[in-house]
Amino acid sequence: MSTTLQNLVNQPYPHGFVTDIESDVAPKGLSEDTIRLISAKKNEPEWLLEFRLHAYRQWLKMEEPQWPNVKYPKIDFQAISYYSAPKPKKALASMDEIDPELLRTFEKLGVPMNERAKLAGVAVDVIFDSVSVATTYKAKLAEVGIIFCSISEAVHQHPELVRQYLGSVVPVGDNYYAALNSAVFTDGSFCFIPKGVKCPMDLSTYFRINTQESGQFERTLIVAEAGASVSYLEGCTAPKFDTNQLHAAVVELVALDDADIKYSTVQNWYAGDENGLGGIFNFVTKRGLCKGVNSRISWTQVETGSAITWKYPSCILRGENSIGEFYSVALTNHHQQADTGTKMVHLGKNTRSTIVSKGISAGHSNNSYRGLVRIAPTAAGARNYSQCDSMLIGEHCGANTFPYIQVNNPSAKVEHEASTSKIGEDQLFYFAQRGIGAEEAVSMIINGFCKDVFQQLPMEFAVEATKLLGLKLEGSVG
Amino acid sequence: MNTATGYLDGLLQGQPPASALSWLNQLRANAVDRVAALTVPTTRDEDWRFTDISPLTKFSFQPAQEAQPLAPAAIEPWAIGEAAARLVFVDGIYAPQHSFNRSGIAVENLGAGFTSHAAAVQAQLGRLAAFERNAFAALNTAFLHDGALIVVPRELALAAPVHLLFIATRKHAASYPRCLIVAEPGSKLTLVEDYVALQDEAYFTNAVTEIALGANAQVQHVRVQRDGAEAFHIANCAVSLARSSRYHAVSVALGARISRHNLGVLLAAEGAECSIDGLALIGGRQLADTHTLIDHALPQCSSRQLHKCIVDGAAHAVFNGNIMVRAGAQRTDSAQSSRNLLLSGKARVDTKPQLEIFADDVKCAHGATVGQLDVDEVFYLKSRGLSETAARNLLTYAFGAEVIERIPVASLRQRLEASVLAQTEQRP
Repeated sequence: MSTTLQNLVNQPYPHGFVTDIESDVAPKGLSEDTIRLISAKKNEPEWLLEFRLHAYRQWLKMEEPQWPNVKYPKIDFQAISYYSAPKPKKALASMDEIDPELLRTFEKLGVPMNERAKLAGVAVDVIFDSVSVATTYKAKLAEVGIIFCSISEAVHQHPELVRQYLGSVVPVGDNYYAALNSAVFTDGSFCFIPKGVKCPMDLSTYFRINTQESGQFERTLIVAEAGASVSYLEGCTAPKFDTNQLHAAVVELVALDDADIKYSTVQNWYAGDENGLGGIFNFVTKRGLCKGVNSRISWTQVETGSAITWKYPSCILRGENSIGEFYSVALTNHHQQADTGTKMVHLGKNTRSTIVSKGISAGHSNNSYRGLVRIAPTAAGARNYSQCDSMLIGEHCGANTFPYIQVNNPSAKVEHEASTSKIGEDQLFYFAQRGIGAEEAVSMIINGFCKDVFQQLPMEFAVEATKLLGLKLEGSVG
Repeated sequence: MNTATGYLDGLLQGQPPASALSWLNQLRANAVDRVAALTVPTTRDEDWRFTDISPLTKFSFQPAQEAQPLAPAAIEPWAIGEAAARLVFVDGIYAPQHSFNRSGIAVENLGAGFTSHAAAVQAQLGRLAAFERNAFAALNTAFLHDGALIVVPRELALAAPVHLLFIATRKHAASYPRCLIVAEPGSKLTLVEDYVALQDEAYFTNAVTEIALGANAQVQHVRVQRDGAEAFHIANCAVSLARSSRYHAVSVALGARISRHNLGVLLAAEGAECSIDGLALIGGRQLADTHTLIDHALPQCSSRQLHKCIVDGAAHAVFNGNIMVRAGAQRTDSAQSSRNLLLSGKARVDTKPQLEIFADDVKCAHGATVGQLDVDEVFYLKSRGLSETAARNLLTYAFGAEVIERIPVASLRQRLEASVLAQTEQRP
């Protein structure tokens, strides 16, 4: 494994530009005053301020978790700005009035936000730093009763829904970063699919951190009522800075009877340079609650960015016959660290879950799969299948697997498999024999390795993910 | 738990008298210091997350000061006909009248070995089983006195097994058996470590076994834990493998109220191979915990592991199998499988097969399954005229027999097979 592989991994980060947009940035530091300031800026109702303060007080009592298999300098929570928004000129009436600088940013990122969005047939909510700047396709969705807007907007227009579900899946005191997010979250997407409605198009949120030394704390809440279904996509990028930025998001999904939520992420936050300088700390809590019978929540993630990724999209399978799925590709390179996986908590009868995790480590990176499958005594007939495969490229990286399997019901059937492999010289030789160069061969092998996951992604994302992995690994084989 | 700190100190009473050997006194004193600094682990420690050892602290255990006299007939049920040597320990105290050695090699009480094999003992003892962060290993080291010392000389192959029999007879007794096995280069040894009881009250066995294999040495290590129903059994076993040596372990856990077996295998030189098999067959309120660490420190080593648990009643089985492939340990070949059978609604299994890999040219795989008996298999047997119960018992037996069949000592294997069969047949 030599230079080609090395070169393959050393692809520059294409989203590393900074957009010069005037931002309204809150002073650094975290206190009750900061929280009141955020709440006031966003013109929030009293109950939400209480929610935030309650979370903040819990957070103060909590300790930063030490158990993940990642190393990073201690975060100074007082050196972060908890609010940064593109300065509003006036209220926007339509997409055309958005700051053209901003639009250009998203064009550079390849995010369809204007009329091209309509051609692409994807409704997009765009979160710039901490604030949602645009949501496309809203009217068309409203026709079928779907609410798709920023969470700040939802707080004002649908307070009863937000109040009912916010914090119902991830309680404010769930963990250190969830508590922090609950205290200071600034924006995010809200999506509500009413009873029996199948969302006619894929919904999408695009996150971008732009300001240096700001943290992004977005909050996403998706509720699918009985019989509803939705496919939701999330993409993330950030400019290059040599300081670390904190991204601590919370995503909550609620699926009622027969509802179906598919949540796909392509995470490509800035990962730091080849010496591990800079990059995003991506400490995210994502959890879905299969509340109703026959409900289904499916997480698909392609994690290629961030200096440190630390997240476990989880499913609480409470409804009978509910289904949880987790498909993940995590790629780490240079000095990136990833500790990611899932939790499948089986509470209801005949609940089923599938976990497919593919980890690829290159450079000096460290990639861990950490997963929990818990079968409660009530989960008769539960079924789980897990598969975790890792691939190592180069001899300085690490791949770890920490599956926790806890079974408390004899009628459950749980299977876990894991394997580790590398791209062999003989495989490359075989390709070379057929006239295919090392770089292309690696890309094909990796694609084959990740196929089970990519198949789960919506078309556009699958194409993007395939390209992304190719770019990320460029120059790492040879 | 502050009470737990004091608890360990309380256990230190009744330590063996100071020895004439200064290094031994020093080793014990170091261990005492660590016992004082450490606390009884709680479920907040990752290593003890699923095993609540706190019931131990409800008892006060003291080491026996002299061996209980036993009639030879009392030992007979556990005798292994093939054995070339046997050492018997009653409540942790060496019982020479029940022991014999026809092997021609050094198989003796560790207490005597301190002087007779001073060089080997001093070089190895306490080196493999680290006690800096392990309260129970420290406790054992503080009580270093009786135990087994086996030294197999260079190029000597001992075909017949050596039997180490630990018998518990007294309630509320603590025993701290310590075994040191040195297999010199090219030697071969089959070892049976056997823990049994003559009573059903609570007692505490805290064993440490250290095994050092020289180049090309081969050790087969059978460990049978059939302690009494209220016993606490904690064992730390540390094995180190030199170039091209081979270690095969079969451990069977049937007894004890709470048992914990830590097995650390260090593949310390190229070409070393190990295979680790384990079976826990428990019911009632039993808890059996097995933690293994297979450490691939150097290239070109291979390891195989199969661990099975059969859990009935309200019993709880825990398995944590860590396979570590260190940086540079290229061409490692490792496979691990954890298979668990739950027989009742209250039975519980926590399994965590764990891989940590820091080298790229390796082949590592692990798998875990938890489930109940396959209905199709039960149906098949029923279609051949077996009753539901007989079919289930046969399948349960077969599940466990896969591990027991790997025991290289025929008489012990047959006896264990019979006792597993009996245990499965007790079920209604």
